[in-house]
Amino acid sequence: MERREALRLLATGTALQLAPHNFLAALREARKLLATQSAPRTLNAQQFVTVKTIAELILPRTETPGATDVGVGEFIDLMLTEWYDDRDRSRFLHGLADVDVRTQALFRKNFAEASAAQQAEILIALGDQMAGNAGRMRDPREDSDSLPDANFYLMLRRLTLTAYYTSEAGATQELHFQVIPDSHDQCAALPIAKGSPEN
Amino acid sequence: MNEPTTYDAIVVGSGMTGGWAAKELTEKGLKTLVLEAGRPIVPEQDYVEHVPPWEMKFRGLGDRRRQLEDQPIQSTCYACDEWSSKFFISDKEHPYTTAPGKPFRWIRGRQVGGRSIMWGRQSYRWSDLDFEANLRDGIAIDWPIRYADIAPWYDYVEDFVGISGEALGLPQLPDSRFLPPMELNCAEKTVRGALAKHFSGERVLTIGRVAVLTQQHRGRPACHYCGPCERGCITRSYFSSVNATLPAAEKTGRMTLRPYSVVHSVMLDARTRRASGVRIIDARTRSTVEFRAKVVFLCASALESVRILFNSSTPEFSSGLANSSGELGHNLMDHVKAGGADGIIPGNDDRIVLGRRPNGIYVPRFRNVKTRQPEFLRGYGFQGEGYREGWERGVAQTGFGPDFKKSISQPGPWRFTFYGFGECLSNHDNFVELDKQTVDAWGIPSLKIHCSWSDNELALRKDMSIAASEMLAAAGAYNIQPFADDEPPGFSIHEMGTARMGRDARTSVLNSYNQAHDVKNLFVTDGGAMVSSSCVNPSLTYMALTARACDYAVQQLKKGEL
Repeated sequence: MERREALRLLATGTALQLAPHNFLAALREARKLLATQSAPRTLNAQQFVTVKTIAELILPRTETPGATDVGVGEFIDLMLTEWYDDRDRSRFLHGLADVDVRTQALFRKNFAEASAAQQAEILIALGDQMAGNAGRMRDPREDSDSLPDANFYLMLRRLTLTAYYTSEAGATQELHFQVIPDSHDQCAALPIAKGSPEN
Repeated sequence: MNEPTTYDAIVVGSGMTGGWAAKELTEKGLKTLVLEAGRPIVPEQDYVEHVPPWEMKFRGLGDRRRQLEDQPIQSTCYACDEWSSKFFISDKEHPYTTAPGKPFRWIRGRQVGGRSIMWGRQSYRWSDLDFEANLRDGIAIDWPIRYADIAPWYDYVEDFVGISGEALGLPQLPDSRFLPPMELNCAEKTVRGALAKHFSGERVLTIGRVAVLTQQHRGRPACHYCGPCERGCITRSYFSSVNATLPAAEKTGRMTLRPYSVVHSVMLDARTRRASGVRIIDARTRSTVEFRAKVVFLCASALESVRILFNSSTPEFSSGLANSSGELGHNLMDHVKAGGADGIIPGNDDRIVLGRRPNGIYVPRFRNVKTRQPEFLRGYGFQGEGYREGWERGVAQTGFGPDFKKSISQPGPWRFTFYGFGECLSNHDNFVELDKQTVDAWGIPSLKIHCSWSDNELALRKDMSIAASEMLAAAGAYNIQPFADDEPPGFSIHEMGTARMGRDARTSVLNSYNQAHDVKNLFVTDGGAMVSSSCVNPSLTYMALTARACDYAVQQLKKGEL
């Protein structure tokens, strides 16, 4: 069942033609589906705000939508809930907790409540640590290009960029992605014309 | 109502070669039963090439937990992604084993169309450099055919398939009957020019020769450059059995395509020494059904066809049907890859690529062509491509904010990657055997695979990384990164050689027409038939050999020889 169908089912009872036990099962499934998508399942409220805040700092709303607009936080919660194993999830949550620890130590506030300048300072520190870890902290189970990453900030950045650039707004407005390209040209001139597909 | 159980011909498998056998045998008038182990494919429902990433639950990263559970081996293949994993088997349902310390990746598709749905579409002719190689080097046995025997059949299948590419007139890589070539991009043109300048015609860069249409061809329209062919193609612009040969067979009215038919074994009439038919397990009802025919074509893939023959042993053929030579299951080959280099090609910053060309470049074999290379026999070709880096480069950068967003949304520098595909020598000690302790979901014994690279393949891989780096350097690249990764055999998904052809029934399983020496009405036309592996992608040769074998089989049938 798709989310759209679930909404229609709950709103209008369009499945009334179903036998009663099937209808009840469908309702249960619909509620379950909607419940799973309405609130984060792994991140608590504070963690969710922190993740969304960092993602929006990395890819803010400009003349095009930002990370929050395209649901980066929701995607990260989905990945933590259904994709990563326990070890990766706990590494992410530890890294996330460390963001608040750092911000508290420097500014006596949680990250989400810090000023923009303070948040930027924390991200710069996380970036320095990530760059310093590059090569040393690779997860030996995985190719260097693939998930999961050993460094929390690298993991968060990969999730943020992936969620953004594979979203409809990110892909079509920023990368000019077209499912079926208008044209193909192997040596076209920049600037990218409106509606031209991403490389 | 009982279904008919008697046909003129039975074809086992509906992929690359099964589709060709179905088309050829039905067009030549035979009532043909095509048995496919997997499910039917309905392009309108099953093809997903136009589903954008935002409609995928994990945005293309795949359902990791399900894949770790159900497809831990298959999902290592790039094409087995969130869209296309449904075209690959469940490793749980289809187990196999390997010898200790000898990993082998066996990548399989079980559905109508088989792996022709997800194949890489690269299509190259073999040459006499390949067909004479074993004789010249004293390796294994000689091919029973030469280029002249197969050339008309290359013409024949190419006319139907539609191969786009550029004619080069090279003896080691004969030209096909080409549709117009796809275009090279700016970085590729730069590298092409550098090779022409620095390697005096020995190394040549050309566009990949690919079974993707660049103009309307036999009722199929040209490619629209949407990109991910391995997800299907609703316009049928690339060649697969579902897109081309099976519809042609269907049109004759003489094909019965039976999905969910897991072939257990070939039945032998011991008195006439002829195959009487095949025994299947219906994948849904699990009941056993027997079908009979005058001729049987095994087109199930090099390893699956051999597995069927092992499971068909009789008192006379106790080590596998048609195995009086003892070579059945031996001489397993796959192309050695994972060697090459990449780098950044300066310039062309004001140029980009529009559309997603489903094809890369090719550098035909240049080692051991005109001069002898002391470190190894045979050679390799390079595939590869030039491309502008995308947003992924921003992941490991430390930037953030509006400027960062703007900068990584723009195309990055031009990268260029060469990756080699090298010839694997035939080796009796690379083999498969029946593993009776390991059965698939239908209780059929699976295979134990014993296969590893020899020093020759490892030397080829090492040379790939060196030669690729040289070419990138000649093109002015920087940040050149050679690679020679430790990748096990199987992963080129070009497994072949396990039922080889030959002139002598004592040292080969099949004769020069893919006909079993021991069982005259039994043909194997998939990769099993290959005597050596060349370094070029093998599907076009499998297709040509299949069409040739069908022609021969029908002639023999008419003469009453089968």
